[in-house]
Parts: sequence; C-alpha cells; structure tokens
Amino acid sequence: MATNTESVDLVGDEVATNLARAALFAALVGAFAYVSFPNPVSPVSVTLQVLGVFLAGIFLGPVWGAASLVLYLAAGALGAPVFQGGSAGFVELVGGTAGYLWSYPIAAALVGAIVHRGGDLRDLDAVSVPVLVGAMTAGTVVIYAMGVVGLYLNLELTLVEATVQGAVVFLPAEGAKIAAAIGIVRSDAIAAE
Amino acid sequence: MTLAYVPDDALAHRLDPRSKLLVQLGFAAAAFAHTTPRGLAALSVVAVGCLRLAGGGPRDLWAYRFALPFLLVAPVVAGATLGAPWFRIGRAVDTGLASYRVLLVLFIAAAYVRSTPVRDSRAAIQHTVPGRPGQLLAAGVALVFRFLPVLKRDLLTARDAMRARLGDELAVRDRMRIVAAAGINRAFGRADRLGTALAARCFAWNPTLPRLAFGRADAVALAVACALFAAALVGAL
Repeated sequence: MATNTESVDLVGDEVATNLARAALFAALVGAFAYVSFPNPVSPVSVTLQVLGVFLAGIFLGPVWGAASLVLYLAAGALGAPVFQGGSAGFVELVGGTAGYLWSYPIAAALVGAIVHRGGDLRDLDAVSVPVLVGAMTAGTVVIYAMGVVGLYLNLELTLVEATVQGAVVFLPAEGAKIAAAIGIVRSDAIAAE
Repeated sequence: MTLAYVPDDALAHRLDPRSKLLVQLGFAAAAFAHTTPRGLAALSVVAVGCLRLAGGGPRDLWAYRFALPFLLVAPVVAGATLGAPWFRIGRAVDTGLASYRVLLVLFIAAAYVRSTPVRDSRAAIQHTVPGRPGQLLAAGVALVFRFLPVLKRDLLTARDAMRARLGDELAVRDRMRIVAAAGINRAFGRADRLGTALAARCFAWNPTLPRLAFGRADAVALAVACALFAAALVGAL
C-alpha cells in the first residue's frame, strides 16, 4: 500500500460550492431528458434539456455553466443515462446527434457571457428581458447550427433536409423554452444566490 | 430501478476501470466503422459477452428503457418522406442499423456501470486527465452519477404534483416553467447542502483514491480493446 505523505490541499469553499452546483446542474440537465412535453408541430416530443443549457449559463455564469455541461457530457460518455431519451455511451458523442451535444457547453458559455457581460456573475434582477431573450436566441442558434451540421455530416441528408428535420420543427418549442426561462428568472421561485 | 454499481465477484469487477474504458472506446469505434448487418452481428456477441462478464443480464438494460422508443421510431421517421415514394426503405434500414448500434453500446455502458464503483471511475479520470481540471472533472462526474436518480425523482414528483392540480390544462410554456423551476430549486438546495458538506469534510485536491493497477485479466481486456480498434481501423480504410 502506497503511503501518501503530502499534506492535505483543501479545495476552497467557493470552488467546492461552485463544483457542487455545476455537478447538480449537470445531473438536472440529464434528468430533464426524462420529462417530455408535446411538440406543437411535430410528433417527436421535446425535452427540457436545452432549457437546462440556457439556465446553466444564466444561473452559473459562462465558466461554471460550461463546466457543468462538460461534466454532463463526460458522465454520459461513461454510461450515465443522461442523453436524449436516457441514452448513454461514447458513441453518442460521435453519432448523428453529436453536434447538438458538443454545442451545449459552448451555448451555455455564450448565454452566460452575454447575460453576465463577462466572467463575473451579476445580479439577475439587473438584466433586462431583451438581453435574456437575445442571449438565449444566440444560444439556440449555436445549438441548432452545430446540431444541423452534425446531422448533415453523419446521416446522408441534404443541408435543407437536415435543417428541416433537425431545427425547423423544434423552433416553436424553443420559443416556449425561452419564455419559460424568462418566467423562471423573473419569478421569486429560485432562492439560490 | 436505476442502473448502478452492483458488488460482485465477476471478471469485469476485477478489471482496472481504465481498461474497461478503453474497451468501451474501442467498441464504439468498431461499431461506427462496421455499421453493417455482419459487423453488428459480430459486435452483438462481444456486447452480450461483456455484459455477462460483468454478471449482468437483460434486467440491467431496463435503466435505458426510455431510449428504446426513440431507437424504434427513428428508422420510421428517417424512412418517411413527403411525396412519392413516401417511404424510402434504404434510409430506414441505415437508420435502423444506427439505432441498433446505439443499443449495443448501451450493453457495454451497462456492463461498465454495473462493474465499476463510482470512486474507481473517479480515480480513472483523475489518472488520465492531468492537473486540477482532471480532479474537478473526476469529482464532478462522480457527483453527477450519484445525484442523477435523485433529481430525476424530484422532477417526476413535480410533474405529478402539477398534474394532480390539473396542470395539464396549462400552456406548454407554463408547464415547462413549473417543472423546471421546481427542479432547479431542488437542485440548488441540494447543491448548497452538498457544498457545505464538502467543505466540512475537507474536500481536498489530493484525496486518497483507490489504488489502480493493471492485473493479468487486464491484459486480456487490453487485447480485446486493441482488436476492436484494429477492426475499426480496417473498416475505416
């Protein structure tokens, strides 16, 4: 048995709390895969995972929001059933929907950076609704652009078919998610500071 | 029932987590390079074998049951087109094979999760990814594994509570808001308690992790991983 003689190098309180929040948010994005809602324009129901990506950026900021989604991808790759429909495994990170998955950390960082104007968190009450809508719209564009490119490269679809199947039918639901996210940010329901 | 580590004396339980991860990667690569009926038939044998070696069976795949409807519907959606000929068999078959490939990978993932304690996964990540990013990643992934079932339960409880109050008659936007707000509140509450507990229990950059060492059985696992990578390479060329 090896003996470790180094002294204990404690993680600071701030990092520990942020790591706990990032990990819990990653688990929450995974849990959102199990709650589906009907899609008004398509038989394929929608889950709240993209909403989780937006909220990670808004509540955790660009750095820890992106870190949270990286944890989500790593846990899913190792076998936690967190991806679309409770799927898991490395193959999801290179398969047809890989573009969407890889876009999540980038989108969370972008949403966080726009909402908080940089790396430091600011009070969400001071953020105006147009900024929130703009940030989440930018996040949506990133997610669907990368997702459509992933579909286009992996499945033998034309770019137009990939855009219709992979983005257009989901956009009304994204509108509902942005509205829901604003409702959450603006309500007093979330107590965490 | 959520898939989790099951203590056992099966062969897979004695392997180093890193060799199991390499087998997973090799399997994904081989499955990707050989998405043909023959290739997937051969890989099915490997997948079932891996799950058996972890002491698992069909019961373990139950955790991934939510993925099954997606995998079954995908070929139908892919084959359907607007306009003649309405249904393209070739595309449906391609997507069907891709769906089956995901199913096989779920076998391997189930074998890994069943045979590997979370702290071993944590040690494996920490040995593979250097420095503090690796330590944060390792600790974070371990927490995600532990809290996923809890938060899933929180969300389903919130949704049931909403339904009991006729929430299904609300607009989709409001239903999403109610369920997500409840989920985030619970998650933040748990995160704050967890953060305090981590600090109180000396959460350190250099914790004592289980010692990992390659044994004789790992040589076999590594050979299997190498064979899978070689098969992937041959298929790609």
